[in-house]
Amino acid sequence: MSVVYINIFLAFTLSFMGLLIYRSHLMSSLLCLEGMMLSLFIMMTVTILANHFTLASMTPIILLVFAACEAALGLSLLVMISSTYGTDYVQNLNLLQC
Amino acid sequence: MNLLTSSVLVTLLMLTFPIMMTSTTMYANKSYPQYVKTATSYAFMISLIPTMMFLHLGQDTMISNWHWITIQTMKLSLSFKLDYFSMIFMPVALFVTWSIMEFSMWYMHSDPNINRFFKYLLLFLITMMILVTANNMFQLFIGWEGVGIMSFLLIGWWYGRTDANTAALQAILYNRIGDVGLILAMAWFLMNLNTWDLQQIFMTNNENLTIPLAGLLLAATGKSAQFGLHPWLPSAMEGPTPVSALLHSSTMVVAGVFLLIRFHPLMEYNKTIQTITLCLGAITTLFTTICALTQNDIKKIVAFSTSSQLGLMMVTIGINQPYLAFLHICTHAFFKAMLFMCSGSIIHSLNDEQDIRKMGGLFKALPFTTTSLIVGSLALTGMPFLTGFYSKDLIIETANTSCTNAWALLLTLVATSMTAAYSTRIMFFALLGQPRFNPIITINENNPLLINSIKRLLFGSIFAGFLISHNLTPTTTPQMTMPHYLKMMAIAVTILGFILALELNLTMQSLKFKYPTNLFKFSSMLGYFPTIIHRLMTKTNLLMSQKSASTLLDMIWLEKILPKSISHFQMKSSMIISSQKGLIKLYFMSFMLTLALSLLTLNFHE
Repeated sequence: MSVVYINIFLAFTLSFMGLLIYRSHLMSSLLCLEGMMLSLFIMMTVTILANHFTLASMTPIILLVFAACEAALGLSLLVMISSTYGTDYVQNLNLLQC
Repeated sequence: MNLLTSSVLVTLLMLTFPIMMTSTTMYANKSYPQYVKTATSYAFMISLIPTMMFLHLGQDTMISNWHWITIQTMKLSLSFKLDYFSMIFMPVALFVTWSIMEFSMWYMHSDPNINRFFKYLLLFLITMMILVTANNMFQLFIGWEGVGIMSFLLIGWWYGRTDANTAALQAILYNRIGDVGLILAMAWFLMNLNTWDLQQIFMTNNENLTIPLAGLLLAATGKSAQFGLHPWLPSAMEGPTPVSALLHSSTMVVAGVFLLIRFHPLMEYNKTIQTITLCLGAITTLFTTICALTQNDIKKIVAFSTSSQLGLMMVTIGINQPYLAFLHICTHAFFKAMLFMCSGSIIHSLNDEQDIRKMGGLFKALPFTTTSLIVGSLALTGMPFLTGFYSKDLIIETANTSCTNAWALLLTLVATSMTAAYSTRIMFFALLGQPRFNPIITINENNPLLINSIKRLLFGSIFAGFLISHNLTPTTTPQMTMPHYLKMMAIAVTILGFILALELNLTMQSLKFKYPTNLFKFSSMLGYFPTIIHRLMTKTNLLMSQKSASTLLDMIWLEKILPKSISHFQMKSSMIISSQKGLIKLYFMSFMLTLALSLLTLNFHE
């Protein structure tokens, strides 16, 4: 792992921290999830372009597709919670019921 | 010879002038109906010139004007076919329309939209002319659809009345089913003979023409109200009487029969289609005559009479006599339009009373109408040497002496006697006896518009048969010799029908009306055909489509089977199994701490 990737790796770690540590809004963890996906995408693309790894050029696109699916899923969960409670405060999620 | 083509085009062009005047002040004028009527009468007189030239020369003409479009190998141009059929039909149709327009100047006098009415009538006439003179099937289709649309607009003239709207829609729907047949024929001709021109269609020697001919037969069934697609014609009596007289007696409903007559070179060699036509026509004529016997609305009786005569025309085509059928079309136009106009005169005089049980005693009150009604009915039943005799009697003679389906022949004969029966019924109830209406003083037939128009058609009903059939070029040799009982057959059954009906009517006057028998109910409810078809079939269709599309596909397959069942299952099982308390932040925190500790302490890469 060369030193040039440390920037992107740091971005990934920061988003990961943001995903796990958040105060009240569920939305912030979803946003951090998106940030993780973005940094992964950039890392993958730069590696492939720098190493002329042309056969794997497809992989960032596939990553984007799956990222979109998961974002939709996360947003639908958010909407479910928000429609039940009115807000997306995480302290509301103490009952195992939708 | 030069004058023929230009006269025809002048005739057709003259009819379009009042339409083009719509945007000018002439249309808002009170004299617009007079203008339209005069235009039609001039068109009639000019159309006599090419007809007489044609009768003298005996040559078919074709006008091919404007190259419309060429689609790969098919060339469509605006072409008019001026042959035997169109040349003779044009003056007849124009004459009848002229009389009807004059009549409707009296009948629709108090209507505020009378200008629009005349415009619609004229548009109908133009599209009918397009249909009749069409040389290629595309132009014919334009005329065909045009008469359908104008029929819709005119039947629903009084659109505030629900029944009128339903009847107009019914006419469109039944005609549409017939149009499918016409489009089938057009598609077949395009694909197999690469043309829509009648000349080329008749030239090619094709063996198996059953499919397009069946399509044409379906089109004729729809447009000419044969059995199976017939309920729209009695319902179409919701329109004003001039509409019934023009469209649904002389002109539009014969379009289907005219189509089959146009294609007679193709039908000559196809015995199957001829037999189907014969049987269909026989069923139609008998069924509608049965229905006409117990109707109480005078216009409906005449409508069923029209339907029955159309069945007779189909029978004539079925025995391979297109020229006789065409002659019957021309003669039928005269007396049927006159019958409708007389009923219109009676209806208007009795303050819009259409039920024959509430008429009576008009013999002395409306003498001219009485005369023309009786003459029209006699012409309809085929009284010797009136108009109907020249076509109807010839048809029955030819059917009797030809090698044809005996059952169809029997049906036709029974229908002929019933024709006399319901004609007697009309005359008996409407004209004879004591008056059964309220004493009103609106009985007036003194208007010259009414008198002149009916008088013209009266002369036509008496003399037109003789004039037309003696001036035509003979095409097929009629059967000259036959046994005397066959020759007398038509007149005998007609007289039988007259006598029976008269006796029954006179006897029943003093008897009490018991509960209706099954046969009466069958006839009065029009054979239960509208009741069954209009309700049962649509309900079945809608129910099945709702069950299969909405319930089965949408609700069950797409909603319930996978998505809802999965979510239901997951929720139930997670509620039963899990023991979590939903402390998300704690779980995330423990995850992060574990990850950080493991990354810091366990350095395996060194």
